[in-house]
Amino acid sequence: MLQIINKRKYFYFISATLVISGLGAIFIWGMNFGIDFTGGTEMKIEFSQNIPKKNVIEEKLKELNLVGFSLKKGEKNLIILQYEKSDDDINRKVFEKIKEIDSNAKQLSVNFIGASVSSRLKTNAVEAIMLSILGIAIYISVAFRKVSRPVSSWKYGLGAIIALAHDVIITAGIFSFLGHFYGVKTDVAFVAALLTILGYSVNDTIVVYDRIRENILRSGIKDEFESVINRSLNETLARSINTSFTVIIVLVFLIIFGSEAIRYFSLALLIGVSFGTYSSIFVASALIATIYKFQINRK
Amino acid sequence: MNLKNKLRTNFFLIFLLAVFSTFLSYPKAVSKISPVYNFFDKLKINLGLDLQGGIHLEYKADVSQIEKGKVGEAMEAVQDVIERRVNAFGVSEPLIYTTKSGADNILVVELAGIKDIEEAKSQIKGTPILEFKEESSEKEEDVEIPEEFLTQLNQQRKEKAEEILKKVLAGEDFAQLAKENSDDPGSKENGGEYDFVKKRSFVPEYEDVIFNKNLVDGTIYPSLVESSFGWHIIKKIQVRGEGDDQEFKSAHILFAKQTQPEPQKEFVSTGLTGKNLKNAKVELQNQGLAEPQVGLKFDDEGAKLFAEITKRNLKKQVAIYLDGEIISAPTVQAEITNGEAVITGNFTLEDAKNLVKNLNEGALPVPISLVSQNSVEASLGEISLRESMKAGAMGLGVILIFMIFYYRYLGLVASFSLLIYTALMVTIFKLSVLTPWGITFTLSGIAGFILSIGMAVDANILIFERTKEELASGRNVLGSIRQGFERAWPSIRDGNFSTIITSLILIWVGTGFVKGFAVVLIIGVIVSMFTAIVITKTILNFTLREWAEKRVWLIVPSHQKNSEK
Repeated sequence: MLQIINKRKYFYFISATLVISGLGAIFIWGMNFGIDFTGGTEMKIEFSQNIPKKNVIEEKLKELNLVGFSLKKGEKNLIILQYEKSDDDINRKVFEKIKEIDSNAKQLSVNFIGASVSSRLKTNAVEAIMLSILGIAIYISVAFRKVSRPVSSWKYGLGAIIALAHDVIITAGIFSFLGHFYGVKTDVAFVAALLTILGYSVNDTIVVYDRIRENILRSGIKDEFESVINRSLNETLARSINTSFTVIIVLVFLIIFGSEAIRYFSLALLIGVSFGTYSSIFVASALIATIYKFQINRK
Repeated sequence: MNLKNKLRTNFFLIFLLAVFSTFLSYPKAVSKISPVYNFFDKLKINLGLDLQGGIHLEYKADVSQIEKGKVGEAMEAVQDVIERRVNAFGVSEPLIYTTKSGADNILVVELAGIKDIEEAKSQIKGTPILEFKEESSEKEEDVEIPEEFLTQLNQQRKEKAEEILKKVLAGEDFAQLAKENSDDPGSKENGGEYDFVKKRSFVPEYEDVIFNKNLVDGTIYPSLVESSFGWHIIKKIQVRGEGDDQEFKSAHILFAKQTQPEPQKEFVSTGLTGKNLKNAKVELQNQGLAEPQVGLKFDDEGAKLFAEITKRNLKKQVAIYLDGEIISAPTVQAEITNGEAVITGNFTLEDAKNLVKNLNEGALPVPISLVSQNSVEASLGEISLRESMKAGAMGLGVILIFMIFYYRYLGLVASFSLLIYTALMVTIFKLSVLTPWGITFTLSGIAGFILSIGMAVDANILIFERTKEELASGRNVLGSIRQGFERAWPSIRDGNFSTIITSLILIWVGTGFVKGFAVVLIIGVIVSMFTAIVITKTILNFTLREWAEKRVWLIVPSHQKNSEK
C-alpha cells in the first residue's frame, strides 16, 4: 500500500510551487488572447515554394499600416498572419500583396472577428465559466449531502473546489508561458477545454471521496481517519490512473497526429486531465486529512 | 428459463445493432455486395465548413432606421433576399439564418464547399440597397463653381472634340474613338451606336443633322453639333420608314458640357425602400438621348408611401439612393398614385440590366456589414479531417490493446463494446441528418468524439476494478462481476453527470467551435453509458457461465486471486 497521505507535505510542496508559478506567469505575462477575444484577423497562407524571408513579407505589408501585426511560421510552407484590423477590404489587400511575392500562394483560411463579436464571445466565456463553477459547486454539495462524519460535507466540497482551482491555474499558467514564448493563443477553444477539465476531473475526485465515505461507514471509529483515506486512495488508484490513461492516450495521439487546428485545444485538455488526475490522487484527499487534523487540533 | 430467453433475445438484439451500425458507419465493409453497399452508402455525415471547406459569414444589420416593432420583419426580408442571391450561385444546402447577439441583429450565411470565396462575398454584398429620400427642411448653402472656371473647362472639352473630329474625318476608327472618348454612357460601349429609334426621340440639334443636312447614310457630319448635352460628332447610319413612322439609326461621340451643379441638398429617409419593390425593368424611354432607365413598380404599401411622398414633395426633389449613393434626384412634377417610378441615372445598358436583375432578386431593406468571417479552403479541411481521423483510430487501437492486456477477457468484451460505441456514434451522426436535429460534424466535434472514445471505457474500468476487488475479497467470478456492475454504478452516474453539466453549459452559451465539441461530447457520454454498461453486461452474462468459475485467469492473473487480503 502506498503511503500517500503520510507524505502529503511533499505533494503540497510540489502543488504549491506549481500553482504559485502558474499565478506568477499569469500575473507577469498575462494571457496571449486570440482574435476570438480581441477582435482582428487571422489569415493562413500557403506558399507554393519555400516561405519568403520574414522581412520581405513585412516590407510588402508595411504600407497597409497593420496594427498589432504578427507573423508566425506554421508547418511546411504555411504562415499565419495576425493583425487587429477586421475589415474585408484590408484582408483582400493583404492577400494581394502576398500574391505579389508569390503569385501561386494560396489563402487556406481567413478568420476575422469584429469588435462586437469578440466582446460577445468574451461575455459568453465569462458566463460559461461562472455557470460551470456554480453548477459543479451545486453538484458537489448534492453528491456529499449524506457525508458528515468525521468532517462535514461542505468540507469535501471545499477540497474538491481547491483541487479544481489547482488544475485550472496550472493549465492557465502553462498557457501563459506558451503564449509569451511561443505565441500560443488563449482563445474560445481554450475556455472550452478548461470547462471540460472542470467537468472531467471533478469526477475523479468524487470517486475517491465516494470510497472514503463508503470505508468510513464500514470501518467504524477504531480506524484512524487518515489511514481510512489512505486505504481508499489505494483502492481507487488503479481506476483513477487507468481511466485517465485512456483519455491521455487519445489526447496524445490527437496532439501528435491530429489536425493543427485543434492541437493546442488538445494540449490544454491533456495538461488539465493530467494535473486533474494528479490532484485528485495527491491533493484532494490529502486536503480532507489536513482539514480533519486542523479540526482536532482546534478542539 | 424465462430469464435465459430474455438474455438470448438481448444478445441477439445487440448483435443486430452491432451489424447494422457497422455497415452504416463503414459501408466499405460490404462493398462486395453492391445492393447492401448502396443502401448503406447513401447516408453521409454532415461535415462542417472546417472539414469540407467553405465560408461562414456573419453580417450585422443596421436597423437604426427601422421602427422597433418591424425589426423582425425587416430581418426576415434580409434573409429572404440573401437566400435568393445565394441560391443563384448554386451552393448545395446553403445555411442562412438570423440571430440576435446582445442588441445586434446578426445574419449568418454558411456556404459549404464553395470554391471562390471572394466572388461569393461580393455577390452577397452586391445586393443593392435602394432608398428613397426627401429634402430635409434644413437648407444647405449652395456651392457654386465660378463661371470662368466652367467656361474654361468647356472650352477645353470643345477643343478635344474638334481634335477627335479631325481624326474621324481623317478616317480613324469611329467606334474605337467613341469607346475611348465619348461621355455618353448609353452608347459608349457600342462604339457610339444607337439602334433604330423613332423620329423626335433625340434632341432637335441632333435630329436636324440626321434629317435636314442631306447627309449620306454611313457618313460623318463634318462639324461639331452643339446641344444642351455638349458637343456631338454625329454619324448617320440609316433612316427608314415614312412620315411619323420614320426611324433612324446613328452613332455619336459626345463631349459633355459642364453645367452648374444642382445645389447640394440634405436628404432624409422617407421609409420607402427596396423592400417595397414589386419589380423592376429596363426601359429605353425616348427622351432626349435614348438613355436606359430603370422602371420600378411598388407593392401596395410602397405605392401608398410613394403617393404620400410625391404629394408632400411637389415641385421638390426626391432622391433615389442606391447602396448609399445618390443616383438620381428628380423633381416631383405631380403626385404619383399608380406606384410606378423611374430611375434615370447615367446608366449604360449593361449597368441598367444588372441593376434590374439585382433589384428583382431583392433589394435589402437595411444595410448590412460583415462583422465576422471564417473561411477554410477545401484542401485544408480535407487534411484536418484525415489527420484527425488517423489520430482517433490510433488512439482507439491503443485503448483496445490496453484494455485486453490489462483486463483480459473483460477487456476483450469492453473492446467489443467500444467498437460498437464508435460505430454507433457514427451511425447517430449519419441518421441525425434525416431528423430536424441534424448534427454537423466539425473539427471540434471530432475532438469531442475522440475524447469521448477515451472516456467511454471509463465506466468499464470502474466496473472491472470493482470486480477485481470483489474477486480479491473471495467472491466467485460471476458474483464478482454482478457486484462490480452494481456497485460501480453510483460512481459512473456521478462522474458522467459532472461532464454532462459542463457540456450543457458549453452548448448553452457557446457558439461554433465550442458547441460542436460539447454536442458530440454529451451524446458520447450518454451513448457510452449504454454501450459500457448494457452491452458489456449482456455479452458477459451471455458468454460467461459456470465454467468460468474455474478459470479465474480469464479475469485476473490467477496468483492474484488470494494474494491480497
